[in-house]
Amino acid sequence: MEEVIIDAKRLVKRFPGVVALTDISFQIRKNTVHCLVGENGAGKSTFIKILTGVYQADEGEILLNGKVHKPKNIRESRKAGITAIYQELNVVDDLTVEQNLSLGKEKHRWGIVQRISDLGKVASILKDLDPRIKLNQKVATLSVAQKQVIEIAKAISSDANIIVMDEPTAAISEEEVRRLFEIIQGLKQQRVTVIYISHRLSEIFEIGDYVTVFRDGQMINTLAVEELNQNGRSQASVELVKMMLGKVLAEHYTPSDIDYQTKMLEAQNLTNNTLKKVSFDLHKGEILGFYGLVGSGKTETARVLYGLDPFEGKVIIKGKECRLGKVRDAIKAGITMIPEERRAEGIFGVLSIRENIPVMKMGNVLKNRVISRFKERNLALSYIQKLRVAARNEEQSVSFLSGGNQQKVVISKCLNSESKIFLMDEPTRGVDVGAKEEIHNIIRELSKEGCAIIVFSSELPEIVNLCDRIILMYEGEIRKVLKNHKDIDSEEIMHIITGGQWGAS
Amino acid sequence: MTKAALKGLIQRQEFVLFAILVVICTVFTIITPLFLSAYNIGNLLKAVSMIVIVACGGTLLMMTANFDLSTGGNLIFSNIIFAMTCLAGVPVVLALGITILCGCAIGAINGTLVTRFAVTPFIATLGTWFVFKGIAKAITDNNEIKAGLPKSFDFLGQAQLGPVPMPVVVLVVIVVVFLFLERKTLLGKYSMAIGGNPTAAYLSGIDGNKIIFLLYTITGGLAGLAGSIAASRIGSGNPRMGDGFEFDVIIAIILGGTPLSGGRGTILGTLIGALIVAVIGSGLNMLGMLSFWQLVLKGVILLFAILLNEKLGK
Repeated sequence: MEEVIIDAKRLVKRFPGVVALTDISFQIRKNTVHCLVGENGAGKSTFIKILTGVYQADEGEILLNGKVHKPKNIRESRKAGITAIYQELNVVDDLTVEQNLSLGKEKHRWGIVQRISDLGKVASILKDLDPRIKLNQKVATLSVAQKQVIEIAKAISSDANIIVMDEPTAAISEEEVRRLFEIIQGLKQQRVTVIYISHRLSEIFEIGDYVTVFRDGQMINTLAVEELNQNGRSQASVELVKMMLGKVLAEHYTPSDIDYQTKMLEAQNLTNNTLKKVSFDLHKGEILGFYGLVGSGKTETARVLYGLDPFEGKVIIKGKECRLGKVRDAIKAGITMIPEERRAEGIFGVLSIRENIPVMKMGNVLKNRVISRFKERNLALSYIQKLRVAARNEEQSVSFLSGGNQQKVVISKCLNSESKIFLMDEPTRGVDVGAKEEIHNIIRELSKEGCAIIVFSSELPEIVNLCDRIILMYEGEIRKVLKNHKDIDSEEIMHIITGGQWGAS
Repeated sequence: MTKAALKGLIQRQEFVLFAILVVICTVFTIITPLFLSAYNIGNLLKAVSMIVIVACGGTLLMMTANFDLSTGGNLIFSNIIFAMTCLAGVPVVLALGITILCGCAIGAINGTLVTRFAVTPFIATLGTWFVFKGIAKAITDNNEIKAGLPKSFDFLGQAQLGPVPMPVVVLVVIVVVFLFLERKTLLGKYSMAIGGNPTAAYLSGIDGNKIIFLLYTITGGLAGLAGSIAASRIGSGNPRMGDGFEFDVIIAIILGGTPLSGGRGTILGTLIGALIVAVIGSGLNMLGMLSFWQLVLKGVILLFAILLNEKLGK
C-alpha cells in the first residue's frame, strides 16, 4: 500500500450559523487519484479550501508528509506543493500560450520583458500532455479542456505533487474527458497525487483509486474504489448515493390540489445547445420539480421558458402557442421567474422594499398614470405582512435584509406581476432553515391559489418535500418523470440523474 | 420630527450639499456684501441655468450608469443652428423648435451608438462631441453670427418675466418637470433600476436599451435648448463659446450625488451641486481671483465630490 501523503485529523470549520466541517478525519495516499463526492454544501469545497489555505481550520490539523500543514494563504500551500485547478480558469484569453505559461515569472530588465528564451520544463510538460497545443497560439482559441491542460502543465512545472481538480469535466466534451483521464493517469506516473471532485459517479469508477464521501459536513466513509466495485458498478453507484444522501424523506410532502383538466403550460420538444427534446405539461395548482446535476439542463429549461435563450420547439400556454423571444413576452404570457442568483439577478440592492416590489408591474402603483407613493407603500406593506418579511420598515434598503428576506422580496416582486406560472430556480439557495420552510409554505400556498409552479433545484430534500411530480434530467434530456409520494425512492432518483438506467442492472 | 427621521435627513447628500451652499454664500456675503445683490444673484442664476437644464437630463442618464460628454459640442452646434435659422427668417419659436429637434437627433445618435452598437458611452459621446463642435466651427469659419439677427432673437436670453430673467424661468420649469419625472414616473424609476442592477432589471421585463436611448435623446434636446439660450443671451451665434461646458454639467451631477456607476441620484442634488460650483465661481470673480485659478478649484471640487459620494453612498 502507498504511504500516506495527507492526513486530516479531526478538522472542524464553523461559519456564523453553520458548522461546515464536523470532525473530519481521513487519509489520502501518495500517488493515487482520490475522489471526493457529496452534495452541494456537504463540505468538499470547505475541506479543499482549508487544504489550499483559503480558510483556516478552527480545530484539528492536516499532516502533509507527516508534518503539520497550516497554510495561511494559497501561496503558502503552493510552496508546500499543492495546486488547485478551479472551474474558473486562471488563464488570460488574450495572451498566447507561451505568455500565459510565463505570466508572473517573466524575466525583465527595468520592467522591459526580455525575450523568453527558455520556458524550460513547462513547454516540454505541455508537449507531453497535449502536443496539439502550440506555444504561439492565443489562449482564446483553445477549448476549455485545453485551457485546463495549460493549468495542469503550470502546476506540474511548479513542482506540485498534489493537484486538486474541482469538477474539471463540468464543461468539456466526452472526447476531451477521455483525454483528461489519460493525462490524469500519466500524472500518477509522474508521482503526482490527484484529488478529484466530481458530481459524475461514473468518472469515479473510471479513474478513482479511493473515494471519500461527505455529507452535511461529515466524513461518511473512505474506501478503495476496487473494493466498492466488487459487486458490479451499478450496485456500487447505489452504495455511493446512499452514503451521499443518507435517508431522504419526503415527510413534509403534501399533495397539491391539482386540476388535471387545465393545462397551464405545455412544452413540446424544446431543443437548443443543451436541451434535447424536452417535453412536459404543467397543470393548474401543480408544483412540478426539475432535478438533475449541474449541466443537466434544469437552469437551461427555465431560461428557455423565460425567453432568455433561443430554442426550437413549442411552448403552449393556456392552449395558445406562445412566442418566447424576450423576457417581456414571457411576462406578458403570465410567466415569471425567481432567478438563481438573488443578489446579481433578483434584487435592486440600493432601492427600498417599497421601490423593489412593484417593478415588474408598475401599473399597480400608478394613479392617473403617475407613481403614487401611497399605493407603493400599501402594496409593500401588504406583501411584507403576507410573506412575513422581517424588515425595519418598507423603506429599508433590500441589500440590508437577510438572504431569506431578500428572497421574499423577490417573490413579492413576482407575485405583483400577477403571473400564474412561476419558475423558481433554486428558490431557497443560501437561506437559513427557518426561512426555507417559510418559502416552501409560500410556494404551497401559491399552488392552492391556482398558480402553477416549477421548482428547479439541486437539493433533493427540497424537491421531494415540495413537488407533486419530479422530472429527472440528465445531459439535457428528461430521463424520467416520477409521481411523488411519501415513500419515494431517493436511490432510484440519484441513480437516474447520474446517468444510470434504473431496472437495467 | 423623530430622531431617526432627523438623522436620515442629515445623512442625505442633498442636505449636506445645501448646508455647504449656505456656508459658502454666507462667507462671500460677509467678505463682499455686494454678493447678495439682486443683480449678482440674477447673473449667477442666468449663468448656471444652461448647466442645470442639461444636467437634469444628464442626471437621469447617469443614474442608468451612462453619461454624455457630447453636451458641450451639442451646445455650440445648437447655438449656431439657432442663430442661422433665425437669420434665415424662420420665426424664433419655430427656430427654437428646430434647434431642440437637432439636439435630440444628436442625442439619438449617441443613444444608437451605445444601445445598438454597444459603443462605451465615453467613446460614443466623445466622438459626437468632436463631430458637432467641428461642424459648428467649420460652417461658421469660427466667426460669430451677429449681423441681421431679428430683435426677437434676444428674447429667450435677455427678456424678463417681472423681475425674473427668462433663462431662470426656463430653469425653474425644467427642474420642476424633471423632479416630477424622477419621482413620479416610470422613466425615473426604471432609470434607477437599470443603473442599480441591469440584470435584475432585464429579468423584471424592463427594456433597458429603450430607456437609455430615450434619455440620451432627451439630454440632447436639452442641450439644444441650452444652446439656444446661450446664443440669445449674448445676442449672437458664437462657435467659440461653451468651453468645458460638458464638464461643468458632469461636475454638477457628480457633486449632486449621482455616481458614475449609476443606481442613485437626485435632480435636487444636481441643482444644488450646480449652484455650489456657480456660487464659488461668481464669488471668487468678485474677489478678483484669476479665472485660471478657478479651473484649479473646479478640479478640487470634482475630486471632493467623488470622495463625498464614496462616503455617503456606502
